[in-house]
Amino acid sequence: MIGTLPRRRFRIEPYVEFAKRAIMREATYRFDVFTSIASFAIRLYLLKTVWTALYAHNPAPQELSLPAILTYSTVALLMGLVMDIDQTRALHERLREGSIATDFMKPISVPLYFFAEGTGEVLFHAVLMLPSLVIALFLVHVDVPGPAALAAFALSFLIGYLVGFCINFILNCTAFWTLEISAGQMIVTWVSDLLGGELIPLVLFPPALQAVVETLPFAAMFSTPLLIYVGTIGPDEYLRAFASQVFWFVLLAGISTLMWRAGAKRVVVQGG
Amino acid sequence: MAIIETVELRKVFRSIVRSPGIAGAVRALFSREYEEKVAVDSVTMTLAEGELVGYLGPNGAGKSTTIKMLTGILVPTSGAIKVAGVVPHRNRQANAANIGVVFGQRSQLYWDLPLRESFELLRSIYDVPRDRYRQNMAHFSEILGLDEFMGTPVRQLSLGERMRGDFAAALLHDPKIVYLDEPTIGLDVEAKEAIREFVGRINRERGTTVILTTHDLADVERLSKRIILIDEGTVIYDGTLARLRTEYGTHRTLVVTLAETYEEFAVEGGEIESREGNIVKLRFNQRRLSAETMIRRLLDRYSVSDIAIIEPEIESIVRRIYREGYNESAVGSPS
Amino acid sequence: MRVAAGVYRQYWRINILTTLEYRENFLMWFAFTIVYHGAAIAALWIVLERFPSLNGWNFRDMAFLYGLWMLAHALHNTLFSAVGDVPEHVREGEFDRILVRPLDSLFQIIATPGQVFPDELMLALAYFGVATWYSGVHIDAMFVIFVPLIVFGGALIELGIGLIVSTLSFWFVRVDALIWIVVQLEQEFTRYPLGIYSRGVRLLLTFVCPFAFMNYFPASYFLHKPDNALGFPPIAGLLTPVIGCAFVILAYVFWRFGLNRYQGVGH
Repeated sequence: MIGTLPRRRFRIEPYVEFAKRAIMREATYRFDVFTSIASFAIRLYLLKTVWTALYAHNPAPQELSLPAILTYSTVALLMGLVMDIDQTRALHERLREGSIATDFMKPISVPLYFFAEGTGEVLFHAVLMLPSLVIALFLVHVDVPGPAALAAFALSFLIGYLVGFCINFILNCTAFWTLEISAGQMIVTWVSDLLGGELIPLVLFPPALQAVVETLPFAAMFSTPLLIYVGTIGPDEYLRAFASQVFWFVLLAGISTLMWRAGAKRVVVQGG
Repeated sequence: MAIIETVELRKVFRSIVRSPGIAGAVRALFSREYEEKVAVDSVTMTLAEGELVGYLGPNGAGKSTTIKMLTGILVPTSGAIKVAGVVPHRNRQANAANIGVVFGQRSQLYWDLPLRESFELLRSIYDVPRDRYRQNMAHFSEILGLDEFMGTPVRQLSLGERMRGDFAAALLHDPKIVYLDEPTIGLDVEAKEAIREFVGRINRERGTTVILTTHDLADVERLSKRIILIDEGTVIYDGTLARLRTEYGTHRTLVVTLAETYEEFAVEGGEIESREGNIVKLRFNQRRLSAETMIRRLLDRYSVSDIAIIEPEIESIVRRIYREGYNESAVGSPS
Repeated sequence: MRVAAGVYRQYWRINILTTLEYRENFLMWFAFTIVYHGAAIAALWIVLERFPSLNGWNFRDMAFLYGLWMLAHALHNTLFSAVGDVPEHVREGEFDRILVRPLDSLFQIIATPGQVFPDELMLALAYFGVATWYSGVHIDAMFVIFVPLIVFGGALIELGIGLIVSTLSFWFVRVDALIWIVVQLEQEFTRYPLGIYSRGVRLLLTFVCPFAFMNYFPASYFLHKPDNALGFPPIAGLLTPVIGCAFVILAYVFWRFGLNRYQGVGH
């Protein structure tokens, strides 16, 4: 069915519309916005309190000073506002409702449709970062690195975002084969929060565990950009850091494509 | 003996007026304006035990608010209410034991489990004695054909099957009164018929009092002798269907098939409702003219191959009352 | 009482049947439960490997602190989890159904069947056994008598909070934000000793949402820790059952008040 569609000139407009629609939809859930911000403030307070207490009663580790780890945690929470969104949730929902077939009838690229929707959602939530940042500045002192490190952080964050997108997409694609995937998704979310360095910097893990965790794709999502931000990864290590992130992105994007193709074929052949 | 009695039942809802936009939302944080909405203005009615009454009204007339007060879900703003000797909102649980409720849009069955399990749970909630439960189940199964899908998870039932299950569920504990809220909505003809048959039999054989709210007047025509019409929170008609029909159905219609084609067509006292080819619909006021006179006048001038008389449909009568209001003086006068 | 017992039996029957009906789904969620608690304990372990003491508590103490909370929380989830669905029922208009049945509204809520299974409770019991042994808590008569009471009291505290939030949904259609905040206080703040928080938060967790009685005060008692949060005598740790009962009664009174209001106003 996808293959037999006549080739059409690519038009960006429908995807812009999808993204806009997603932004508007998100904006109607105003309470979720309050929830996100309130939850952010509470988490930040908790992290600040716990880290402060830990540093007060123990010798500080060499990798990160208290101000550095507070900066790390705050930036991680801010990143989480965007990273923790499951941008391709719509795919799973439409598979469960059986409405995916109607998407294949429209003259659009279905994966791009989900990508556009997800981007709209993410853009809206990115706006949330501003009020959250204001709250953060009241609660803790956040260090701002020099322009070079800041630019490297932004690039690394972007690649990390794409890695996260692929992981979510792959998870949602499993719904082609098994419809109930919420539990599986939650498991991955929970594991990646811990092993990606969102809660505890990987450099503070016991060495043996750290060696294992750094070979997993989750580190590319949070740990790499954050360590660049706080300066643990210095300028001479940037290239190596980006390379490992890009490696994960390419690999996961490849898996995404294969899974999508197999899943779409299944829908077309078996009718969903 | 009256089983349901309400006197000047009234319910006023108070809701916050929200101005649109962010400014409005901010303003609402500091000062609130309230708006009062009278859902039920004054409803006085008396139902005898064993009656089957159609409770009708347009959307927003106050039907479901009345039902909610009768079932004890809502407390009236003022007025008196008594159901089987109990004041529903004061003694909610005692009232609940006397009543059964079917919400056409909402099932009380457990989605994921075989139908049988829902009945078992309801048996324990209403504390139905075992042998009574068995008798009732056997009886309902026979009328509603439940046996075919007793073991099927509810989510796999068709709407018709599910509704049949819901009816059995509502009647399992031999309630004295059953409230049916849009019980046939969305059902196909066959399922509607099965439900109507069931309600009719329960009412006749067990003497269960039934209040039926519906949009489908065929339900009412088939089942109830008495209807209560409500509009804007007030009872505007309470009486038999037959009376409504004779009092309000002032017009009948002749459907005439002409044998030849006529350029012009007119009959004194008749109003042409529609004309398609040789078929003409002719409306006349039956209080002024008998059908016989009309037909004689027609046959005097035209050659006719077929004639049929259509009685006023209850549906169109009720629709007209909603539109124009029920007016005693309008009855019998030409319109 | 007899009727309620019958309904409650049916409730569990249906729960188990539903769980069996969705076996794969149940196993996935059980796996998630393991990962959820596993990740929380792992995070504590990782941090305390690096920083041996948090306000005088080492990892062994923290493992016991978590175990006590986990047990109460799991008991709550097994017995009372349906209370959390009330706001949704109110929003969707399903709540009316409860009012046309001849049983107490709260009992009906608690006995609303779903896919409940005592899996988390069993997991919590197993973990609590290990954590107790690992932390070196001395198991004596006091322990045997009081731990079940404390766990049940903790579950009641969580029920009370859930009930209060649910009652608020009679006034406000969306209470999600509040639920989230309460969940965070209950699930995340209880992982650490109360003494690390600022005074306001300590008071909040003791007197407003008394989650500190779920695990911190009892754990301080059994671990012989001086309470450096509010300076309570150690015996405060045994008050959990009393606090739980009182709190739930308070919440129930509020619930009845809200219910009257719901019946008066509609929604």
